[in-house]
Amino acid sequence: MTHIAIADQTAHLHHPKTFIGKYIWSQDHKVIAIQYSVTAIFVGLIALLLSVLMRLQLGFPGQFNFITPDAYLQFVTMHGMIMVIYLLTALLLGGFGNYLIPLMVGTRDMVFPYLNMLSYWFYLVSVIVLMSSFFVTGGPTGAGWTLYPPQSILAGTPGAGSGIVLMLLSLAIFIVAFTMGGLNYVTTIFQARTRGMTLMRMPLTIWGILTATILGLLAFPALLVSAIMMLFDATLGTSFFMPAIVSLGEPLNHEGGSPILFQHLFWFFGHPEVYIVALPAFGMVSDVLSVHARKNIFGYRMMVWAIVIIGGLSFIVWAHHMYVSGMNPYFGFFFATTTLIIAVPTAIKVYNWVLTLWKGNIHLTVPMLFAIGFIFTFTHGGLSGLFLGNVVVDLPLSDTFFVVAHFHMVMGVSPIMVLFAALYHWFPLVSGKQLHTGLGKLHFWGTFLGTYAIYLPMHYLGFLGVPRRYYALGDTSFIPESAHVLNEDITIAAIIVALFQLVFVANVIWTLRSGPRSVRNPWGVASLEWHTPDVPPVHGNWGDALPTVHRWAYDYSVPGAKQDFIPQHVAEEDVEYEAGGRRSGEGE
Amino acid sequence: MSWFGILSEKPWLPEAQGTAAQWGRTAYTPAVKISLRFLLGIISVFFMLFFVTFISRSQYDDFLALAGEPWQPFTHSWRLWINSGVLVLASVAMQNAVYALRRDQSLRLLCSLAAGALLAMLFIILQISVWQFLQAMGYGVAANPANSYFYILTGLHALHLLGGLVALGRVVNSLRRDGDLQNRHAAIEACALYWHYLLGLWLVLFFMLTRTPETYALIAAACGLG
Ligand code: HEM
Ligand SMILES: [Cu+2]
Repeated sequence: MTHIAIADQTAHLHHPKTFIGKYIWSQDHKVIAIQYSVTAIFVGLIALLLSVLMRLQLGFPGQFNFITPDAYLQFVTMHGMIMVIYLLTALLLGGFGNYLIPLMVGTRDMVFPYLNMLSYWFYLVSVIVLMSSFFVTGGPTGAGWTLYPPQSILAGTPGAGSGIVLMLLSLAIFIVAFTMGGLNYVTTIFQARTRGMTLMRMPLTIWGILTATILGLLAFPALLVSAIMMLFDATLGTSFFMPAIVSLGEPLNHEGGSPILFQHLFWFFGHPEVYIVALPAFGMVSDVLSVHARKNIFGYRMMVWAIVIIGGLSFIVWAHHMYVSGMNPYFGFFFATTTLIIAVPTAIKVYNWVLTLWKGNIHLTVPMLFAIGFIFTFTHGGLSGLFLGNVVVDLPLSDTFFVVAHFHMVMGVSPIMVLFAALYHWFPLVSGKQLHTGLGKLHFWGTFLGTYAIYLPMHYLGFLGVPRRYYALGDTSFIPESAHVLNEDITIAAIIVALFQLVFVANVIWTLRSGPRSVRNPWGVASLEWHTPDVPPVHGNWGDALPTVHRWAYDYSVPGAKQDFIPQHVAEEDVEYEAGGRRSGEGE
Repeated sequence: MSWFGILSEKPWLPEAQGTAAQWGRTAYTPAVKISLRFLLGIISVFFMLFFVTFISRSQYDDFLALAGEPWQPFTHSWRLWINSGVLVLASVAMQNAVYALRRDQSLRLLCSLAAGALLAMLFIILQISVWQFLQAMGYGVAANPANSYFYILTGLHALHLLGGLVALGRVVNSLRRDGDLQNRHAAIEACALYWHYLLGLWLVLFFMLTRTPETYALIAAACGLG
């Protein structure tokens, strides 16, 4: 399966001359990556704003007139969907995937640049369609990001008219966009790697992105299938998911459909989706940890295997989201078992990250702080996942704030930690300037401690039985007064965390406008992306000739070598060693 | 090398002498082919998921299969057989184009590609006429889940065919611009493969959509979906 591109097609690269050709209708993977990232971060900020509004309502119920029960549910839904799909998936794969794949495996661009461009424009259309649902009558859908029928398309649920239709359309367009991008990523990785870049010499970032992309390509069809069938149910009156039902006193025309079928389809997509987000994050955090600890990643092969095994297993655990939907107990047993098995490769990865730090020469740079923060938050989220994976523990906790706490730690905060690590780490490569360290540290501590202040108490609220997706608790006898106080505190913490993100935005703007130019390769990274002739890399990436790769991406602190890292494209003959310190032949 | 071999490489070892010289000699698969394989895999998953839901839905009481009793539309499915014939011919034309390509006969190539495209369009038109036939018999989209599935699945199949036509159009267009046959081998072969795939997919759809209730019960039992 090693297909190494011999065709190095500088001649075919077509350099656009106009501003529009260069920055708008661009086919350059780097420009497309930036377009993806900027769009994703923009919608992400909207989702952040929605979460603050939700928290205002929960912390101070009834104080804000414009947050009606309907609006609250719409905020919840849009917040969840935007964060998971339009921010995390798009930023990790469309943004970082696009930027890093060609640079890290040594190609001039993606194999199909035109398709890559189309991918971004489809993504943008899907975002616009989604946002337009804020402005239609009835507003966006309030069905929860899981969109369970029948309620998602029945009168009484906010946005049951146009809102849900726009949501489903937007998802369908997003999936088309993702498929065009994803085909590009996998084909580029499999086919176009430069000389010497064997699969096992690829940085873990690329392994994470590759596996996540394959998961996405295989899992998104399930969402597309359910979106199409639900569109038919909602607009043409079919009964795929709709049972015979009486709504507002009137029997509807539906009959015999199965809502549970939708849940199966949704989660057959939904669980792999969490790893579509997690795996690129796993990869990137591995690279950041290794670089900033000046040590090779511990157990590279095991890390690759773990990524692949997690990817495979993620397709057979989906029903752990449906324990309360009612299922054959043997099914529950099966899915609980697979869920717990997936924790094994995951735990291996956590151990390997910690062992990478062990006796490393740790530089507490801003990316490193975020990466270490990730180890904490991810371990917390993973542990609560082990609880929820067991049927008997899940039944009382399901649909409480405990679940909210779990998935925010594991797929909200953790990937965001990695995204920030990655943004601070690769910013000098993309822009030629280094983000301000002091502001970065401020941003880290505010975010890290702040998110703990938000989510740790939520576990406790979950134990108390505080339900999720409720507009207000009202007078509920089993919920003590202290829960309300806690809710206020959480809201205050959430506002503080949101404000701390402005520090980041300010840092980016300030750095881009008046920050000093960064030195080349400021962190001393060995992988290819920092070794282009021009930094930031220009169109075509590699100047006259593609690099040839002679080693893996983790030669840090090699005994005897003069420099504390050896770039991937440096041959053994060309490495400078201290007198008498030449490395012996075998591995460590 | 096998996947197992690849995954057990030890990249931290220094490179063995002389390995660098071997690079570039490995077999080279065009990007179009690799991505088409992935694409076909994805489309298969997509339709597989539909089939699974279809089979499990077929076991509900309200599901009225489209074949079985004499008055049902596909108890005699000659219309669909005609359509299948047209799609087979489209596939044959595309395969003929591939042969023409290998022998460098550009006129034959263009004629076969045109035939492949026109037959595919004819197929889509005939499928639409089947829809009209169903409508006329009172088998609307929402009347019964069996009908809903028929419209959705044939519609999606036709959409995939349309996508293929767009791709083929782009290939022919670029051929017209530079007449460079040699560089288009992979693309044209990919189009032909895509046509064959959609023919196969259509035959599966044809089979799935026109069974009797007894056969569905059997399939469902075999898949554990009953
Ligand atoms: C050791 C690993 C994990 C285990 C055992 C686990 C287990 C579970 C279980 C059983 C639930 C269902 C809770 C319920 O609805 O009652 C759940 C929910 C969830 N998990 Fe995990 N999980 C793990 C890792 C992850 C990861 C890595 C992510 C994302 C990156 C993630 C994201 C989510 C999300 C988003 C939900 C909530 C879905 C909803 O809206 O209902 N989990 N998890
Ligand atoms: Cu899950």
